[in-house]
Order: sequence, then C-alpha cells, then structure tokens
Amino acid sequence: MNKHILAVMLMLVFIASLSVNFAAAQDDTLVIWADENRAPILEALGAQFTEEYGIPVTVTQLGFGDIRDQLIIAGPAGEGPDILIGAHDWLGQLTADNLLAPIELDEELAAQFSPVALQAFTQDGVLYGVPYAVENVAFFRNTELVPDAPATWEEVRQISEEIQESGAAQYGFVYQNGDPYHFFGIQSAFGGYVFGQDENGNYVASDLGVDSEGSVAALQWMTDMVTDGVMPLTTGDEATALFESGDAAMMITGPWFLQRFRDAGVPFAISDIPAGPDGNPGSPFLGVQAFMVNNFSDNVDLAIAFLTEYVATEETMVELSTVGTRPSAFIPANEVATDPDFAAFASAGAVGQPMPSIPEMGSVWGAWGSAISLALGGDNTPDEAFGAAAEAIRAEIEATPEAEATTAP
Amino acid sequence: MSEITKAVASPNVDQKEGYWSARVTRERTLRLVIIAFALVYALFPVLFIMSSSFNPSGSILGQGIIPRNASLVHYNALLNSPNNPFPLWVWNSVKISTITAVLAVLISSLSAYAFSRFRFKGRRTLLLTVFLIQVFPSTLAIVAIYLLLQTIGEIIPPFGLNTHAGLILVYLGGALGINTWLMKGFFDTVPRELDESAMMDGATNFQIFWVIIFPLVRPILAVVAILTFVGTYGDFILPLVLINEPQEYTLAGG
Amino acid sequence: MAAISQPQKNVLYPSSTPASPVGLILRLVGIAILDAFAIWFVSQLIADQAWFLAFLVVIVTIGFNAFFLSERLYPFRWFSPGLALMILMVVYPMVYTIYVAFTNYGTGHLRTQEQLVQSFLEPRGSNLYIPEGATPYEFAAYRSEDGRYLLWLIDEQGNAFAAAPGEPLKANGEGIEGIGPLDEDGFPETIQGFERLNRIQLASDDTINTQIFGTAEDSIGISGRNAARFELRYSYDAASNTITDLSTGTTYTGIEGIYTSTTDPNDTLPGGYYVGVGLGNFIDLFTSPAISGPLIIIFVWTVMHALFAVLLTFALGLSFALVFNSDLVPGKKILRSAMLIPYAIPAFISVLIWRGLLSEQLGPISVTVRDWFGWSPPWFTDAFWARIGVLLVQMWLGFPYMMLVCMGALQSIPSEIYEASNVDGANAWQRFWSLTLPLLLVSVGPILISSFAFNFNNFGVIRLYNQGGPAITPTAGWTDILISYTYRLAFAAGTTDYGLASAITIVIFFIVLVITVINFRFTGAWEEVSQNV
Repeated sequence: MNKHILAVMLMLVFIASLSVNFAAAQDDTLVIWADENRAPILEALGAQFTEEYGIPVTVTQLGFGDIRDQLIIAGPAGEGPDILIGAHDWLGQLTADNLLAPIELDEELAAQFSPVALQAFTQDGVLYGVPYAVENVAFFRNTELVPDAPATWEEVRQISEEIQESGAAQYGFVYQNGDPYHFFGIQSAFGGYVFGQDENGNYVASDLGVDSEGSVAALQWMTDMVTDGVMPLTTGDEATALFESGDAAMMITGPWFLQRFRDAGVPFAISDIPAGPDGNPGSPFLGVQAFMVNNFSDNVDLAIAFLTEYVATEETMVELSTVGTRPSAFIPANEVATDPDFAAFASAGAVGQPMPSIPEMGSVWGAWGSAISLALGGDNTPDEAFGAAAEAIRAEIEATPEAEATTAP
Repeated sequence: MSEITKAVASPNVDQKEGYWSARVTRERTLRLVIIAFALVYALFPVLFIMSSSFNPSGSILGQGIIPRNASLVHYNALLNSPNNPFPLWVWNSVKISTITAVLAVLISSLSAYAFSRFRFKGRRTLLLTVFLIQVFPSTLAIVAIYLLLQTIGEIIPPFGLNTHAGLILVYLGGALGINTWLMKGFFDTVPRELDESAMMDGATNFQIFWVIIFPLVRPILAVVAILTFVGTYGDFILPLVLINEPQEYTLAGG
Repeated sequence: MAAISQPQKNVLYPSSTPASPVGLILRLVGIAILDAFAIWFVSQLIADQAWFLAFLVVIVTIGFNAFFLSERLYPFRWFSPGLALMILMVVYPMVYTIYVAFTNYGTGHLRTQEQLVQSFLEPRGSNLYIPEGATPYEFAAYRSEDGRYLLWLIDEQGNAFAAAPGEPLKANGEGIEGIGPLDEDGFPETIQGFERLNRIQLASDDTINTQIFGTAEDSIGISGRNAARFELRYSYDAASNTITDLSTGTTYTGIEGIYTSTTDPNDTLPGGYYVGVGLGNFIDLFTSPAISGPLIIIFVWTVMHALFAVLLTFALGLSFALVFNSDLVPGKKILRSAMLIPYAIPAFISVLIWRGLLSEQLGPISVTVRDWFGWSPPWFTDAFWARIGVLLVQMWLGFPYMMLVCMGALQSIPSEIYEASNVDGANAWQRFWSLTLPLLLVSVGPILISSFAFNFNNFGVIRLYNQGGPAITPTAGWTDILISYTYRLAFAAGTTDYGLASAITIVIFFIVLVITVINFRFTGAWEEVSQNV
C-alpha cells in the first residue's frame, strides 16, 4: 500500500502545480435593483445610457421589500447593486451599517424636489436618496353611494348608518382590521399621535403617543362603530374587495389600488381624510420612495451622476410616476401630470407627516396593530389595548440601547 | 363502517372470487366513492387557483369558481413580457429540480444500501446523526449559505452565487437526510437471499446494488425523486437570495 | 417485525469484494485527482482567509482518502458523496449559526472588523479630507484625444487656475492656447484640443479619478465635486484597535463593535463590526420582558400544532393511499396522480389561496357555510377557529407527502403476509391494526418524527397565512409558534438581530432534539429500525 500512497502523493503534487487561479475581473457595469414596475423604465434608460457612454447597465428585478432584505446580506459582503430603489423608512436601518452613500444635489436640482421628500431622505443633514415618489393614503368614496365627501368622522358614521338602513349597499365605511398605517389618519384626526416631534420636525422617541388621549378616542370611535354594527370586521383584502364590488361605500387606502379600482369600473372619488371632533384634519403618513446608492459600490460617483443627470429629468420622473400611480416627488413632473387623482392624493397629503423612520418605529408597528384588532374584536377596551401596547413598546425601546449608539456623528 | 375497513385493508382482489362478484362490486363502488370525495377535497382549491388566474383583478375574494369576467391578461403578461422571460424560468426550474432529484436519489440510495446491508462500527451513530442534524432549524442558515457560495464562487466561479450549479449543490446537501431513512426502510424489505446468491456468482457489491437491488426498489426511488423534485421546484427562499440575475431565475424566485 | 424478512444475524458484508487491478488503479487515480483538487481548493480558501471552510474541506478530503484506501472503512465509501455534501452545505451553516449566536451580528454590526476598517481606509469621497492650509477648488475637467487631462480650478475667492499633471498651476490658464469663452460659472466652455467632460464622463473615467494634478508640493486631486490636495481622513492602529480622524484629531476605539470616540461616548464612526458577546444573546433571550409573556400558551400550541399536523396529514395520506392501493380501482394511476396535484403547487401560492377561501366576509368557503347554516366560523378573529384553520391548511398542504410516503411503504409489505392472515380468519379491521399499521410504521415512523420536527419550526405557513394572529397580547398571537414568536422579538425593532435569532435557533434546536429523542424512545422506532435486518 505504501507504494500506492507514494504514487498518489506524487500525482497530486503534479496536478496541484498545474492549477490556475480564476480571478474575477472588475468591470464598470452599473447594477440597479428595482421592482417590477420601475425596472422596465430603468432598463430603457440604461440602454440609452449605454449607447451614449458605452457603460453597460444591468437592471435586476426584485420584490420591493426584498431589495432591503437582500442588500443587508449582500452589501456587507461587498456584493450588491450600485443603485437601489427603496422607501424612506429603511433609512435608519441602512445607514446604521453605513450602507448608503451620501448624495449631493446642486441647489438648482434640489429646488425641483418636494422639500418633504428630501427631508424624509435626510438624516443628520446628509441626503441619502434621489426621491421619485411621495405616497400617502386618502379617503375613497363610491360616488354613487356617497356623492359628497364627508368632512368629519361623525359624518362618516351617519352616512354609513344611512346606507345600511336604506340598503343601498352592504356596508358604509370599511377598515383594514389591525392595520395601524391606515388607522393613523383617523387617529391623528382625533388628536392622537405616535411619536412627538421637536421644533425641527424630528421625531422624539421618548414621547410615545400610542396611548395618548386622542389615540384612544379614535379607537373608541371605531370600536363603537363595530359594536353598534355600523362597521364590519374586515381584513385588508376583504375591505378592498368590498369597495371594488360596490358593496362598501367608503374606505381609506392608497394609490396602489387606483389601477385596480379603475379596471373594476367602480365609480369613485378621492378626498382629504375627514377631520376629528375638534376640527383636526386627518393627516396620513407620508411615504417617500427614492433611488439610493450603495456606499460600497466601486462606482459611487458614476451612480450618483446617472441619477442626477439621467433619472432626475421631467420625462423619466413622469414615467416613474405613471407606472407607480403615485404623485411624483419631482415638482416639474407633477406640474405636467394631468391625473386628477394624483392631485387629490397630494391634497390629502398636504397635511401629512413623514412616516417616522427612527429605528424605534420598528418596535411600534406590531404592538400598535395588534392593539387595534384586540379592541375592535372586543377583547380589550380601547383604553386597555393602547395602554398595554404603549407599555410593551416602551419596554422594548428601553431594551434596545443600540438605537442611540448607531446614530452617525 | 366495517365495509370501509374491509375495503381499506385488503390490497388485492381475492383470487377465489370473480372480478364481478357482488362483494367485489360493492367494494369497488365504495372505493370509488371515497376517491371521488378525496379528489374533490384535493382539487377544489386548485380550481380556485386556476380561476383566479383568469380573473383580471388578481384577487380571489368574492369570485365564484367561474370568474365573472374571464380574461387572459395574466397569461398574456406572463408569456409575453420581455422583462419576465417566464418560459425561461420554467425551464430553469425544471432543469434544476430534475438534476437535483436524480442526484439526490443516487446519493441517498447509495447510503441507504450501505445502511441496509453493511454492519460496521458507528452505523447506529451515523444513522442517528444524519437524522438529528436535519432537525436543526435552518431558517437562519441562508446568510451562511450566501457567504459560503460567495467564497466558493470567488475560487470556482461556476459554483458561486447566481449559478444553478451552486444552487443544486446546496439542495443536495440535504439529500442524505430523511431520504436515506425512507429508502433504508424499503431496502430492508428486499430479501437478502438475492444478494447472497449473486455474491456466490462473484458479483461485486456495486453490481449487486446496481443490477439487482436498484431495479427492485423502483417504487421508493420514484417517491424520493418526486419528493425532491417538488421540494426543489416549490422552494423560493434560496433562489431568491442566491440568484440575482433574471436570466438565471427559477420560477418561484421570479 | 421479524416477519418481513428474517435477518440472519451477523451475516455481514464487511469488506469490499477483492479488487481487480483495474478497479484499484481507477480508484487511486480518482483519489489522486480529488486530492489534487482539494489541495488547490484549500490553498485558495486559505488565501481568502476562509479558515473554517478550509478546515472542513480538509476533513472531507481526509475522509475520502481514509474511506477509499482502507478496507476496514469500506462501508463508508457508500456514504462519502452524501456526507461530503452534508458537511459542506448543512453542517457548515449550522456551525456558523452557533458561532453567530455568540456575537452581536445584526443591524449596525454587519461587517467583520477587517471589512469595516478597510471601508474607512479606502480612498473614497467620505474618507478624504482637505487638510488645513490646502485650498479647495471647484473644477471642470477636460480631456484631449490622446488622453491628456486638464483641470480648470476656481478657488473660493474666484481666482481661476489651469492645472495639468506634473506642472505648476497656471493662473487664468496662462500659456494655454485656444481657451474658449467662459460659461456663467467661470469655466471655459471649450479648450482647443480638449473635450470638456460632463459629470458622467468624469465619473466613469477611472484615470482622472486617480490622477494627481499640479506639482508634488502643490498636488491636487479630485473627489466628487471638489478638487483639492486631499488626504486620507482616517488612520488605523491595529495594536490598539483605534482609528484616528485626522481632520479633527479625534481617536475612536473599537468598543463592542463600534468605533467610539475616546472623549465623547456619543461620537461614533458610522457602521460597526461584529464581536463576540459571550452568552449575551442567551441572557437577553431569557431576561427579555416579552419572554415572560404568554410563553406557556405558545409552547403548548407549538407542540399541539406539530403533533396534529403530523397526525392529520398522516391519517389522511394513509387513508387515501389505502383506498388507492387496490386493483379494483380503474384508472388508478391517473386518479392517484390527480391527488398529488396539491403538492405540485408551491406552498406560498396555496396558502394565499386558502387565506382567500376562508376569508370571513367573502371567502367562498365561509360564504357557502353561511348560506347553509346561517353562521360561519370566525377563521381569523377567534383563537380556537384560527387554530383549526391553520391545521386545515397544514392538512391540505401535507397530505400528498404522506400519501406518497405511505404508497411507497405499502408496496414494501409482501402480500404473503395478508394471505397468511386471511387463512387465520382475521377481519379487515384487525388486519389493518395488527399487520398493516405496525409494518408501515417501521419504515414510516422516522418520517413521522422528522415531520414533527419540521412542523415544530414550520413558521413559513403561519407567517403567510395569518401572521400568528389573532393577538393574545400586543406582541403575541394565538397561532404563533415558538419560532415565529421569538423571531418577532429578534427582528422586531426594524432591525435584524442575527445574534439573538441564532441564540433562539439553538435553544429551539435543543428542544426539538430532546423531543425527537424522546419520540424515538417512546415509539421504539429507533430500536426497530436499527435492529431490523
């Protein structure tokens, strides 16, 4: 056997000496991660760019939420795209690992963006995104059942009762049970809030308003609707399907269903979110979407130049706004937009507030949403439900000291 | 009830009775009735899936089995979008799943044969280890697998991220698990006299395995192949993270 | 059990059949090629500093050599491909998870220390600064056909200079010919022989970005939109693990994976690396306020969920397999294949369909049930019915698997056994309980146990179906299982805490391990399988 082993050793030394090293070449390709709606636009734009400058552009299509999840895995490993699209509430998490490159805009260009949109992508004075869309929910009504937009939530209740009594439709107002994002418009109308704001408009984690008086009042209003049989308990899918088929007359939802409602042929109109008892306007959360640049890309400057020179143009922004059925964050694009629904969304969003992107917000969503469904389902009173949720959130915020530590200097 | 149980437990027609005897007819009817119910149970959600694929709104709520305004928009979008080369993804999926299934059957049948036929030190330990390792919750393994393929890919690009070979390799990692157990149980039922007589004739172990046993255990090979194929075909988490080029996507990933 | 095939004790196949010379040579060549490949692969892995992976590859290679060269280890040859793949693709991620459980890997700590330090030392925009005394300029860049570069600089006072590599600055471009009219910002629109670069050309030109303009004493580089004598902003001292910001003079020490200023604990460098935290994650896990919540309810449900999911799918799968296992069924193969269609549909689609079918207001099932009985179960808002709903969905998703497995196992039961019992006069019911089921369990038993372990952690379905709802408390739901509940904790704060999640994984692994071993003991499956044959 010894001879064999010797032969083996000799042979493998020989073969090992022949081996070569594969080395991956660095290339100047611009890689963009985008969702299925925006990818085709960017592909066309990339083809133009390649033709003009000879730099290849690859657009990879991912689910919107997957973009963030995968950047977290790929980014630190040095993989990942040069440019990605995303929402402003990812900002805290991505900057905590320094994954985003700062972006400087000329004053002239910056002035063309909606200030709220830029503000949403700014952290500690540094801009991290080139925004393309602003989205917020608004009040939808079926114009056959509700010809005039209700001004207050009290009116919404009256109309719902009338509709049910007359049998014009199965339900009046419907709500996505347990969904805090859609509830916030009502909560704010009753004077509730989630996080208090300082004088600069920054959210303050220590001032949690989930259990504030206004928040509880809003939940009480809705719980009464349910217990009095004026509003059914419906999931988001159900509420949407009911509205779509004309079986429900009113709901709060966003631009993502515009196309679906239009296709379904339901006559609808969009208006501001009704006001609360004290006349507070219902202010929805504003979400902003933007292009961001991977800080560890080899082509940071090129990526930023592509965004400022190629993407931040009226033509591209109008296209992005059209496929996304969302108002643009680029003012010139909104000026040429003729879609009246966009204007209605913008009007509802005028009193909106950016959805908090502070890391503490992550602790809020789950508990807040569960509290709403606990109260509506009759398991807890609104007071108890929001009280317990706030307690759980405060405990969790305290247990996560890293949130402060990771704030950039 | 007793009829059902009788039907259930007698696998073959009693040879003494004719094919059309009253008892046999009754049993057949009973089986067919049960099968009809079973088919309805198994297939009605599938009908809804198909029906919603014709429904333009993309929601299954409030629709009947027959969609109100049937439309081919989804199919049109599926087949003709340049951005989503759907047929290519199907091809990718089928390719990966088939290769995985074939290799997994080979690998696990080799192990199962050894577990079934050989006695050696460490056999029990190995058998148990193979079993216990796969109860580890693998939800978090995805990050490790990503880094693993990245490292491998830097050295051997054809097996790195964004490659089908890399993905297949990951799937095969699980081939040794429960499949081996499943097959071993079946191998055990193949009488050993067959092996022994072959051995008398001077056959090697591999020849026994390949020529004698392998054809005899076809039913379980088919079962394992189907299980592996479907498991691979339906998986979407791995391809989603490991494959990032539209040309390489699998069905579920896209 | 003895009935299946009477084992002849100790008739072993201990060694390979005597090798033919050709076979031996083939084997040795095979091993040699494998070793050669392994040596090369390991050397590359070591070059990449993938130590642990290199170690595993070495183990696998040694294993291969031992198995194929030693006659005593002959049986292991049959396992080698499976084992190698398992070690690489299953054990490696497992060990990695265990390792991560003892670190703070997660949001804010996603990189290795080396990666993080490197990210500060690369000459990129934010890693550069303009030292005191150096002048910052705005600039425009020009490139000639033959690849020469020229910068036009304007300082804060509005003075303009032209700069070329290796030459002193020329005020207002003195001596350069063909300077065209200035644009509104004061940059020449054209320079003879040169093309003015726009931002994209500038950004995609790798040469100009590393080019030094001006003389050695007054060198100027460009970064982003500025030109100046840039210097690297950070310096790293490996001995003390500190990074110094040269622009401010602040020193940052690595503390728990974050470079923190030595003078102000709130002043940190962006990003962080992961470091060992010992048992920290486990301590967090057991002291977390959420854990003291409805843990008992969730644990009991987790066990029940796994148990019922296995029993129901097995009962259903076995019944169907038995019904189909008869020559009396015409078109058996086609009908049987039709039964397996649910299995061919990816689970994430079927789960969504079931969510729609059971939808309380509009789901076809709920609507039909309401039409018939005037009431339909609150599938999503009531704790009891939500659990029933989850089990219904699991049952539908899982029965084809069990049916397949049972079909395979039923065929392995020799028909002579039934004939013997027919003679004894046993009725069908007795035959099923005394023969079919016990025989079946020998081969299917381990599958059931493994299926239990799988369902114990099967939160994919629950997450897609109802996210664990309805709520018990604001942080837990009635259908939450252990792993979905605890992952909620790990990923709750809008961050991903892989360290904590890994710790949870390990704790759950031990729970499952214990249950599995108990299962084996309890059912006797292990003994039967290991003794059989």
